[in-house]
Amino acid sequence: MAVPRGWWVLWHGRRWFSQAESGVAPRLPDSLYPPIVASATAKSKAAKRRRLEYFHQKVHAAPSVEEKLRLYAQLQRPKYRLHPQTFALNADRWYRSFTKTVFVPGLPPRAAAAAGAAPEVQQSATAAAPGAPGPGAAAPAAAKPPAGAAVFLDMGKLRSLACDALLQESFYQKKERPFLYRHQDHTPGPFLTQLVSTLTAFLCGHNPLLAASTLDLKPEVNYYWHHGEEVVVHGHRKGRVDPVRFQIDDKPHLQIRVPKQLPEIVPLESDLGEVPVINHKPSKLPLFKKQYENKVFIGSKVADPCCYGHTQFHLIPDKLKRQRLVKANLEDQIEVVYRANGIASLFAWTAAQAMYQGFWNEADVTRPFVSQAVVTDGKYFAFFCYQLNTLALTVETIQNNPRKNICWGTESKPLYDIVEDGSVKGFNDEVLLHLVRFLLNRPKEL
Amino acid sequence: YPLFQLGGPQLRIFRPNFFMLAVRPGVPQPEDTVQFRVSMEMTKVDIKNYLEKIYNVPVAAVRTRIQYGANNKRNHKNQRVKKPDYKVAYVQLGQGQTFQFPNLFPEKEQDTETRSFDDFKNKYMEREQQRQKGDPRRGGVPDWFGL
Repeated sequence: MAVPRGWWVLWHGRRWFSQAESGVAPRLPDSLYPPIVASATAKSKAAKRRRLEYFHQKVHAAPSVEEKLRLYAQLQRPKYRLHPQTFALNADRWYRSFTKTVFVPGLPPRAAAAAGAAPEVQQSATAAAPGAPGPGAAAPAAAKPPAGAAVFLDMGKLRSLACDALLQESFYQKKERPFLYRHQDHTPGPFLTQLVSTLTAFLCGHNPLLAASTLDLKPEVNYYWHHGEEVVVHGHRKGRVDPVRFQIDDKPHLQIRVPKQLPEIVPLESDLGEVPVINHKPSKLPLFKKQYENKVFIGSKVADPCCYGHTQFHLIPDKLKRQRLVKANLEDQIEVVYRANGIASLFAWTAAQAMYQGFWNEADVTRPFVSQAVVTDGKYFAFFCYQLNTLALTVETIQNNPRKNICWGTESKPLYDIVEDGSVKGFNDEVLLHLVRFLLNRPKEL
Repeated sequence: YPLFQLGGPQLRIFRPNFFMLAVRPGVPQPEDTVQFRVSMEMTKVDIKNYLEKIYNVPVAAVRTRIQYGANNKRNHKNQRVKKPDYKVAYVQLGQGQTFQFPNLFPEKEQDTETRSFDDFKNKYMEREQQRQKGDPRRGGVPDWFGL
């Protein structure tokens, strides 16, 4: 009896149909007939649900991460392109609603967690007053064993490194006049590259994670996701309810990828604020749709050992420079530009890292993914920290999901006032200290 | 407009002959967006300067598009009748200002006389309709035939 029954099932449906049968409903041992389930090809909501269920199972059962990514990004449809560096007004509010992110001004208080490994900054003779938690924690910290010992940093050496890079790019090196709208590539770009590479090399001794890290120059970071629902307006699919698809294609100036993940800043289920709810269509931002390859990429392929992110460095383009916004009476949008860039880029990076580990919106992350970013236009620096707590942003998965992603960020502060006559005037140690702290961030085991 | 070249005089227009019509958006727009129908020759810079200089409205961003008027209708001579094209401008206001298109036809409060007259009229109409209806036992079948 078993043989003809099996043949009947295989002969009746298509091959994948029978595979779906065995995957979806377990067959009771004493029933003669296959289980009664909704059709998989009918034009009905139950059939659509069954096809979706089958797709989810296919992705869950994929043998490797590459296969999972390939299936996830297989279907191409028109999607909204999110640009992290955008001129749109109040873009950071819209981006927060698309990515379910809470923005917390200021950097997270890491003094308690990093007290053991906090860099104790040794001030040189001409330096300004040290940071607030430094002297208090220095005395007891100095007596700790080497694993948690306070690290002494030479502030003068760091300052001289930064000033050297700045002067080399803007004063000593003879360059032609920058072409129209290429000012950012002329001086701030090379300065940022030089600064980061020298600081990373210098701090390798203090932070062994940096010694095992990879520095990418102009990498590509892409992420594709669904959020919300809409009705298709025109076309042969008119009237159907579709998820709203988004794609971020980002090109940070520099990126540091590490083999070990940064520690979580707050527990996974923390609630630090509200996510803005925007009931308008994303095209009112303005945001435009295009159909092309759905890509999920962190900067390197899946097999790379450095699959976790550490820090990204973004350079604001010429179109969004400070003086241009000021000239167009848009001073309040200056900070919005930095925030939108930080939120969008970091969400894409952390979410892509999570996908590289096998998580996706049906299999939500079990541990938070943390990354940092520095957004600058050469003179003004803004620092951002992002913790990804959830990838589940589709209509079905967002309903019972109380988790929110969190982004901490500062306002943009100048690193220096002006460079003239071979010297840097008004150097700001605080900004350099922030940068150094960012680079020294590492998991607690190291 | 006369072509501008480097070093030439700044083009200044006093008392422009443009008109802007604020319209109710067909699809819901964000709170800071106002929708206008403007002349086809106006540019985004024109619209921005027009609103800022003449009406003192802070403008953060302007986006325009041209709406094509359809050419499908036919008149009694079977000639195609074109609806005119027009340019639509979406203006985002600066300094956090918002704008909601007002309701131009609000429901008016009816006084007691009109209300009682309306009630009387409704009751009269109902009674007339009842009289027009035939015997309910016939189930809606007309009574001009049969016994």
